[in-house]
Amino acid sequence: MQLVFIMVIAFVWLAGTIFRIYRQARYYQIEEYKSNRYIRWLFSERDRWLPTRPVGVFLVGMIFAFFTDSIPGETSFLPYIIHIIIAALAVYPPDEGEIKKAFVRTQRATRLLGAAFFLAFLATMLLFALRQLAPIPTSDRFQAVFMGIGGIGLFIFAPIWLMLGNILMTPLEGFMRRRFIKKAENVLAVINPKIIGITGSYGKTTTKNFLRDMLNGRYKTYATPKSYNTLMGVCLAINNDMANDYSIEYFISEMGAYVEGEIQRITELTPPDISIVVEVGPQHLERFGTLENVAAAKYEIIKALPQQGLAIFNWDNPYVREMYDRGYPDNRIAVSRELSPDNLPENPPRFIASDIVETLNGLSFTVTDTETNQSEFIETPVIGIHNVTNLLLTIAVCVHEGMSLRDVAFRAKTLQPAESRLVRQVTDSGITIINDAYSANPVGVISALKVLGLHQSGKRLLITPGMIELGDMQEAENRKLGELATQYASDIILVGEKQTAPLKAGILSTDFSQEHLQVVDNLSDAIDWYKDNLKAGDTVLFLNDLPDTY
Amino acid sequence: MAVTRKTIVGVIFGGRSVEHDVSIVTGHQIMNAFDTTKYEVVPIYVTHDGKWFTGAPLCDIENFKDGEITSYDGVKSAILSPDVRHHGLIVNPLAGRFSKSEIRRLDVLFPAVHGTHGEDGTLQGLFELADIPYVGYATLGSALTNDKILTKQVLKQNDIPVLDSIFFTRSEWLNKPESILQRLKDGFGYPMFVKPATLGSSIGITRVDDESLLRPAIDIAANFDRRILVEPAVTDGIEINCAVMGYGDDIQTSVLEQPLSWSDFLAFEDKYLRGNEGMKSADRIIPAPLSDDLTRRIKDLSIQAFKAVDGRGIVRIDYLVKPDSNEVYLNELNTMPGSLSFYLWRETNLSDSAVVDKLVTLARDAYADKRRNMYDYKTNLVALAAGRGLKGAKGTKGVASHN
Repeated sequence: MQLVFIMVIAFVWLAGTIFRIYRQARYYQIEEYKSNRYIRWLFSERDRWLPTRPVGVFLVGMIFAFFTDSIPGETSFLPYIIHIIIAALAVYPPDEGEIKKAFVRTQRATRLLGAAFFLAFLATMLLFALRQLAPIPTSDRFQAVFMGIGGIGLFIFAPIWLMLGNILMTPLEGFMRRRFIKKAENVLAVINPKIIGITGSYGKTTTKNFLRDMLNGRYKTYATPKSYNTLMGVCLAINNDMANDYSIEYFISEMGAYVEGEIQRITELTPPDISIVVEVGPQHLERFGTLENVAAAKYEIIKALPQQGLAIFNWDNPYVREMYDRGYPDNRIAVSRELSPDNLPENPPRFIASDIVETLNGLSFTVTDTETNQSEFIETPVIGIHNVTNLLLTIAVCVHEGMSLRDVAFRAKTLQPAESRLVRQVTDSGITIINDAYSANPVGVISALKVLGLHQSGKRLLITPGMIELGDMQEAENRKLGELATQYASDIILVGEKQTAPLKAGILSTDFSQEHLQVVDNLSDAIDWYKDNLKAGDTVLFLNDLPDTY
Repeated sequence: MAVTRKTIVGVIFGGRSVEHDVSIVTGHQIMNAFDTTKYEVVPIYVTHDGKWFTGAPLCDIENFKDGEITSYDGVKSAILSPDVRHHGLIVNPLAGRFSKSEIRRLDVLFPAVHGTHGEDGTLQGLFELADIPYVGYATLGSALTNDKILTKQVLKQNDIPVLDSIFFTRSEWLNKPESILQRLKDGFGYPMFVKPATLGSSIGITRVDDESLLRPAIDIAANFDRRILVEPAVTDGIEINCAVMGYGDDIQTSVLEQPLSWSDFLAFEDKYLRGNEGMKSADRIIPAPLSDDLTRRIKDLSIQAFKAVDGRGIVRIDYLVKPDSNEVYLNELNTMPGSLSFYLWRETNLSDSAVVDKLVTLARDAYADKRRNMYDYKTNLVALAAGRGLKGAKGTKGVASHN
């Protein structure tokens, strides 16, 4: 009978542990299964690694159990019942709150969960073994307490089982990865498309989508979907969508980097014929340290080009311009939206945008090919000044691949913004929503604010949690954003008190009325507020959306 | 790798047509014209009875005799797939346990098939389904110019001078021959030409100089086609040919030629097989001895006609001209002219390789235009149908919830 009770206690703790592992796996996944990053997240708040309610319930329960007596040698059910109740109350899962990015049950995640569950089970078995071996008094109270302590340990250590599971799976995952990469290599060898690589701290996905839509007007072009920009993401795209599609002539591979060498590895899989560097900026600076390191990582995409390859650079960014000036490869094209075609430096960028006009209907500008002296008027429904650069980079590739400027201008009229990047829509109640939820960065936020400023009919509400992952520059950049925001927004809601402090300081350093500034805890509070307080003709800008780990 | 990738051109020749053998010659002239540093040529041969083959030996005309392949060594069965993902041939399509089928990607298709199943839009329809850029007229232009009766009507609409004509169907001829003969006699006198509405290369065409030959001539034409066309023969004119190449607004004409065998009408063999390179060595005068004014007029008409029939790629336009009275009649459009009229382009300072190069570029331009069209137009029709139940018997109430 004693054994049955002990097994029930163990089972409740194990079930709770398994569920906790399952929930933790979501954060582990967001941190890309990198244990150091996950640990940093875990220990940044006490409640994450030492959850209040389970521990509290356990401690209170233990004290309570201490006063309920059981005579050694006699059998009493009470300690067991108490410990079953403690376990159940402790492991009962709390409400998870807002989930922006749900857990994706990939094959890898499934394998990892399997391993972690198995380890938790193994640990439980170990507890039983210890109970037999260790010199524990056989009294019911001690037996129950032993299982209770073991159970809470099992539960608290859920992240350990997860990370150990990951280590356990490492050899298998390595094998699966190599097989997956090999498969993608084989697909590419058969389809043999022209490969265009795009990298940059920001603007990658938008440029990729523009290029795909424009080039598709002449050549069948496939681009990695969404923001797939890791080695595995690119492999997935190739294996899922390119296998057996012999019609693809151009493949656009978006290459992101969190560490040096990452782009190089992607270029080994997808060796580019054409490489585009959009921007070098403080994105993910906390992982790179300095902007120079960021630039060095991005330059890997140029180094991967063959001598006869083509490289395209955004001349307006000093770090990218420096890459252009380095002189590799022979065939290089630079583009600029900041230079004037009347006043060009020596050896000027090839494509220049001038007379840039932004209205609520979109962008228009004149593009000049300084090599042929041809000009063409470009009109596009896409908004955001920074998109002029993205368009110029796109134009450079298209013209090089045989499209005329006129053709390019025709296609520009039907371009669409990429998902969650300055996408505008009007709600049924007449409120204009500008969604710029993806990776706000120092260049993009200015564009987005200017677009907000174009709406002059009513209130202009900015909702933002600020910018992150900018390393040393984060505080200063957010402060600047705060100052700038007051020029374009009539009302501001900051999401998350802690990380928006510099933003708030920036806002308050201007004469912006504090009545129009609010700080809320999460996005849904902000949405509730605008639903109650805005009316037809007003505009909301959602600037950046942070992952669940912030 | 891909930077230096060659353009892969599939050249299709042969075909299920009376002009099968001529097409083999044209096909090989085209294949030989390609600059091999820029292009990789894949030969695709369609036999007289409609089987498709590919393989390197087909590139050598020595391997053909009497319109047949002499050896099938290294030659494999192949089909052009209408599945857009294949974008080319399925080689060895009926692979069994011990053989493998494979996909052969083609960047551009270059048809060199004359006449039926080649010049009439059928082959082009397959190319459209396959979604591969191809040289020459599209489906509509090919089908139109393949039909002499409809071509005349379209040209007339565009104020391009054509000879008068009378047309009728085979069943009309079989049921009421007398009334047709009467119509012809009333219409225009002898000599006249009796032609099947389709088919090129003079096949089935008879010149009728007096009444005794009219019935047999119509019988011959009726054997080749369901629809028959009769037009007066121009006796005091000369034949003038002009080749046109282009797409959209970029259209150029060749120098004009005057074939000399006009006076006796070209017999089939005469038209193609004199000398070893098609029409090249047939007796002709290049440039044709016409006044600058008339030359200009014919060239302008050629461009006008090219546009009127939605031309693209290449065409050779044949005219009947009476230089003394300054009269010009457009006689025929050949969308797959023998030898691609290489001999005319050479006189226009375009090498054979420049001509095929230009045609591939035009094919890509035309394809790009097709790509500019939108094929995705989101509808909720399927959802509606699903909500209604495909038979639509009941459940119209369900529709609202699916909107």
